[in-house]
Amino acid sequence: MIPVSIQIRQALGKLVLPLLLLLSIGIIIVGQADRKLADRVRMVVADGLSPFWTLVSTTQERTVAIATNLREAGRLARENARLKTENENLRRWYDVAVSLTRENDSLKTALHWIPEPAPAFVTGRVVADTGGIYARAVLLVAGTESGVEVGNIALASNGLAGRVTETGAHSARILLITDIASRLPVMLEGSHAPAIMVGDNSPMPRLMYYAQDTRPVEGERVVTSDQAGAFPAGLPIGTVHYVSEGRPVVAPFAQLDHLNLLRVFNFGHSQVEPPDAPGHVPLAPPHKAQDLPFKNLLGQG
Amino acid sequence: MPDPSMRAWEPEIQPRQTLSHRLEHGARHLLPSLFCMLVIILFSAPLPLPGIAELMPAIVMATVFFWSFWRPSGMPSLAVFFLGLFMDLVGFTPLGVSAFILLLVHGVGLYARFGLMRMHFLLAWGVFALVALGACLLQWGLACLFRLHMLDLPPTLFEAFLSIGAYPPLSALFSWLLHRLDGKEQD
Repeated sequence: MIPVSIQIRQALGKLVLPLLLLLSIGIIIVGQADRKLADRVRMVVADGLSPFWTLVSTTQERTVAIATNLREAGRLARENARLKTENENLRRWYDVAVSLTRENDSLKTALHWIPEPAPAFVTGRVVADTGGIYARAVLLVAGTESGVEVGNIALASNGLAGRVTETGAHSARILLITDIASRLPVMLEGSHAPAIMVGDNSPMPRLMYYAQDTRPVEGERVVTSDQAGAFPAGLPIGTVHYVSEGRPVVAPFAQLDHLNLLRVFNFGHSQVEPPDAPGHVPLAPPHKAQDLPFKNLLGQG
Repeated sequence: MPDPSMRAWEPEIQPRQTLSHRLEHGARHLLPSLFCMLVIILFSAPLPLPGIAELMPAIVMATVFFWSFWRPSGMPSLAVFFLGLFMDLVGFTPLGVSAFILLLVHGVGLYARFGLMRMHFLLAWGVFALVALGACLLQWGLACLFRLHMLDLPPTLFEAFLSIGAYPPLSALFSWLLHRLDGKEQD
C-alpha cells in the first residue's frame, strides 16, 4: 500500500462515491450511445454465467421431478392398498364362482342336462360408420366368405352391438341397436319381464311396451330375450336409465359411437322348431311362420 | 489516530494480523457483496417463481441499504457499483442505471448513517420505504426517458412494495449475522 496520511485517505474515501456516480452516468450515456457494445458485453456475461444457470435450473428440475415422483409413489401406495383389498374381495368372489360352477355342473349332471351348442363366431374390423338406408349402421370387413349370414348377431367387447342386415362377399352391414329401424325384444333381468327396445337414432334406445306392474328399475340390467326367435336369451345389452319421469332408456354397455372390432356370432337356428303334433294340421309351413317376425325385426318389412 | 472507538469502521488501523486472520476478515467484509452476487445469479436463472424479476432488485436494494448504514466496511461504494453493473449486465435494464440507483441508495444510507443507527427499527424502515419508492420511481423515469414513451407504472410500484416488504426479514437476518460476527471478533 502507498503510505499516505490518514487525512488524505479520508478525503479520497469521500471522493469515491461521487466519482462512481459520475462513472455510472458515463456508462449510462455510453450504453445508450452504443447499444451494440452494451449488448455484446451482456452476451459475454451471460455466456460466463450460463453454467451457473444450467446448474440452478437442473437442480430445480430435479427437485420438481423428485417431488413429483414422491407424490406419485404416495398415490401408487394408496392405489396398491385399494387394489389389494379389491383383490381379496375378488378372490372371495372367485371362490364363490368356482364353487357355484361346480355345483351347477353337478346339478346339470344329476338332471341329465342337454348342453347348448357353442356358437361359431368371426371377428372383423369396423371400417365405416354409416352407409345404406340406416342412420346408425357400420360396415364390417367380414362377409359370406367368412361365414357371416344375414341375421347374425354382432357383439362388441362388452355388450350387444347390432345385427347383420346385408352381406357381401367380404363385407357385412350391421344395423346398430340405436338405429331408428331397430326394435328388439328384451328382458329386464331383475323382474324377468319382457319389453321392446326401440332405437331412435340417439345414443340411448328407449324401452317400450313393458308391463305396467313390472316397470323398469333404474340401473337394472337389460338382456336379450328369445321371444321372437331372433336372439338367444341372455346377451347383455345395457342398463336401464330414466332420462325423465316415465321415459326409461337403455344405456348400452357397448361403446357404439366408436366401434373398432366386432364379433359376429352365428347362433344357428336358435328358434326351437316344435315337432309336428299328431292330429294338428298346420296352415303354413312352420319355419316360414317363424321366419316372419324375424324378417320384420330386420327392418325389411 | 489509534482511537479504539474507530476500529469498527476503520479496519485498516489495526495491529498486524496473521494470514488466516486476514483471510477471515476479508471473507467477513465480502459477505454482503457475495450474498448480493448470489442473489443476482440465482434470481436471474429461469426459475418458475412469480415476480422473480422484481424480487431480485428488491433484495439487492434492501441489502445494500442495510449494510450501508450499519457496516459500510461490508458494503463499500466500489462493491455497490460493481453489483449494480452486474445487475444491469444480467438483467435487461439499460447499462449503468442500476449501478447509479444503487449508488444513490448507498449514498443516502452512508451519509445518514449516524442518524439511522440511532433510530428505532420502524423509523429506519420508513426511511427505507421512502428511499425505495424514490429509487423505483427514478428507475421508471429513466426507463421512460430512454424509451421516449410512458411505461406502465404498476410494475414499478410492485417492485417498490417488494423492496419494502423484503427489508424486515433481511434486516433480521443481517442483524443476527452482525451479532455473530461481532461476538467472534471479540473472542
